[in-house]
Amino acid sequence: MNSLSPEVALSRISSELRPLLCSVVRNGRVGLDSSSCLRITDLKSGCTSLMPGPCCDRFKLHIPYAGEILKWDIIFNAKDPELPPDFIFGEDADFLPEPSELPHLVSWDAGKPECLLQLVKELLQQYHQYQCQRLRDSSRLLFEYDSLLEDPNYGRSMEIYAGRKNSWTGEFSARFLLKLPVDFSNIPIYLLKDTAVDPGEDVALLSVSFEDAEATQVFPKLYLSPSIEHALGGSSALHIPAFPSGGCLIDYVPQVCQLLTNKVQYVIQGYHKRREYIAAFLSHFGMGVVEYDAVGFTKLTLLLMWKDFCFLVHVDLPLYFPRDQPTLTFQSIYHFTSSGQLYSQVQKSYPYSPRWDGNEMAKRAKDYFKSFIPQFQEGAFANGKL
Amino acid sequence: MAASISGYTFSSVCYHSANSNSDHEGFLLGEVRQEETLSISDSHIGSSEFLNVIEVHNHEPCAQLFSFYDYAGNVNEENLNRILKDRRKNVIGWYRFRRNTQQQMSFREQVIHKQLTHILGIPDLVFLLFSFISTANSSTHALEYVLFRPNRKYNQRISLSIPNLGNTSQQEYKVSSVPNTSKNYASVIKEHGTEFFDKDGVMKDIRAIFQVYSALQERVQAVCCEVDQSERVREKIQEEVNKLKEEIALRKRNSAEEERRLQEAAAVTLPDNPALPDSSHSSLTRVVLSGPSVEPSLERPVNSSSPPIYSTTLPPDSPSAILLPRPQAVGSPGHPSPSLGLGNGDGSSSDSLNRQATGQEDQEDEDDDDEDSSEYENLVSEQLQPPSLTETVTLGRPATLWPDGDAHSPPGS
Repeated sequence: MNSLSPEVALSRISSELRPLLCSVVRNGRVGLDSSSCLRITDLKSGCTSLMPGPCCDRFKLHIPYAGEILKWDIIFNAKDPELPPDFIFGEDADFLPEPSELPHLVSWDAGKPECLLQLVKELLQQYHQYQCQRLRDSSRLLFEYDSLLEDPNYGRSMEIYAGRKNSWTGEFSARFLLKLPVDFSNIPIYLLKDTAVDPGEDVALLSVSFEDAEATQVFPKLYLSPSIEHALGGSSALHIPAFPSGGCLIDYVPQVCQLLTNKVQYVIQGYHKRREYIAAFLSHFGMGVVEYDAVGFTKLTLLLMWKDFCFLVHVDLPLYFPRDQPTLTFQSIYHFTSSGQLYSQVQKSYPYSPRWDGNEMAKRAKDYFKSFIPQFQEGAFANGKL
Repeated sequence: MAASISGYTFSSVCYHSANSNSDHEGFLLGEVRQEETLSISDSHIGSSEFLNVIEVHNHEPCAQLFSFYDYAGNVNEENLNRILKDRRKNVIGWYRFRRNTQQQMSFREQVIHKQLTHILGIPDLVFLLFSFISTANSSTHALEYVLFRPNRKYNQRISLSIPNLGNTSQQEYKVSSVPNTSKNYASVIKEHGTEFFDKDGVMKDIRAIFQVYSALQERVQAVCCEVDQSERVREKIQEEVNKLKEEIALRKRNSAEEERRLQEAAAVTLPDNPALPDSSHSSLTRVVLSGPSVEPSLERPVNSSSPPIYSTTLPPDSPSAILLPRPQAVGSPGHPSPSLGLGNGDGSSSDSLNRQATGQEDQEDEDDDDEDSSEYENLVSEQLQPPSLTETVTLGRPATLWPDGDAHSPPGS
């Protein structure tokens, strides 16, 4: 059955249970992967068919966890809405949480709308414990888990799914989903576009799948929030190294983390560098600045004059500035090309060093202009039409 | 393990469940018994299998949910006792009914089951799960039931059989072994039971029938004895009759002999053996006479007083044993029936007659045989004579004048 939209689900559920479901459906984010909401399917009723609707009181809840989707049955009774629900944990028939460790079950209060959501979170914690227990079947993976657990950076935000042992081949698989402790807060806002698409927290998740107990087949994958992905230059810009054979997570994960952090740092630094660059040019060229990008500091346009020859210089600063050299586009204001555009020349290679600071870059740029302009002027006169 | 539930209990549970507007639960009462099946086959000598059979006799529905447990699933023993009262010892399991859910034990059910197992002290407590599935337009409803044995790791599901619910075209109506636990039934039976049952609990009719049977058996036994006795008497009488018949025959022979002697004495006496014709007559006659009296088909060969005609009438050492008596000798015209006296002339005929008359059974037979044999010798000797004696008499030849007209052989003695 296809998942129901929240409104449809809420309209069909018994009225006394509606507030509980509301908080689950609208605000329900559990687990690391909070980008996907909890979904509701298979809404059914426990009343007789003679009961007038809406009287649904039992449904299936889809919970994302460690890259899997858990499908738990939640059973209420519309006739007794004050009673706590019962659960069937799908295929995990062995999973039996300890009721005393579920405070929201022991002191269930149907009057509190978030009670169900909190109970589900507590159950999920128990489920996590249960999965970690299952890791004991493989000493190698248990070692991985324990070593990660000790590290405070990763130990607290980890989801593990220990796959079903294949009874034929004795295969065992597990998936580790880790939240990487990378600080995205300093990323310039302008980079985090389209916040409407991803209103959630910016997060980077590393998923490592072990297809066998001996860790010979390991598949890592990095998941980023869409805005972060965009801010860092798209999915193509980010390649994580392959899991080294014989390596372990406690070495690999920090590696990936560092890589990501470096990238983020780079992006942040780039922003600041660009700002510095633009500021320097502003101070050097003063009135010659036509316009510049005041948000992202990616563009700058100058109008300069040399021996009564006026020209425009467009400066394009790349994302990974200062590593990458800015592009200079010289444009004549007198001459046109055959296609009707202003005659321009693009210069990508000119004396440049990323180690210069903004002032130095501005000075060198000025010198370069002086040296290049006669050449440009000749070219403009030669190739362009007035 | 097998399980069965009586039809009325099952329908009662379904009734309670289907009429509730929410989930429903209760307890199953009954008993567990062990059946041993001994099977013998060609492959192995014998194997016995033990089968635990769970029988559900009754159920105790709970009025509402959470009646004996709390939100955390902790079972309250007081409430449990209040629900079960004195039927606690009959509990073999519990059941739950929930609509539109999977056929799988839920979280709380598992928690409760563990506690009930511990509190009630039943290691193999069973759990019956009813689930009710309806189609969207309520046109079809399916009641599904599964019996679980959650305390086992494997084979957790047991098949539940309901007697007489199935394909009746291939099965006969079965009487289940589930006892009737109704109190009303028990009281009525107790009240009226004395009319049918005696103090030992056995039906009176059975005893009466048994008595009839015993009486019949005694009678039959008595009749058997009587038959036995009467048969013996009959035997005796039969023997006596036979003996008497022999005696009669003997006497007849003797008298015939006597007459013949008288006749011979009156007639011309011949130089040949005078005794021979007598003996021959008598023996012949006797043989002939004894023939009809002996009917081998009617007499038992063990007690036959008179032997079969041909086999013992002639002595075994007689050279001419293949002699046939001639019926003519009996009814030959003009000749009176010969006396039964012996042809030996030693006067022993009277002795034999006397002995016959006294009625000694076997000894007489033997004596008869002896005397018979002696007479047979005479017969043998007589019978070797040419048969045309009668003719010779009528022809008047004095040399071969034998009143019998039988062939006489010279006496071998």
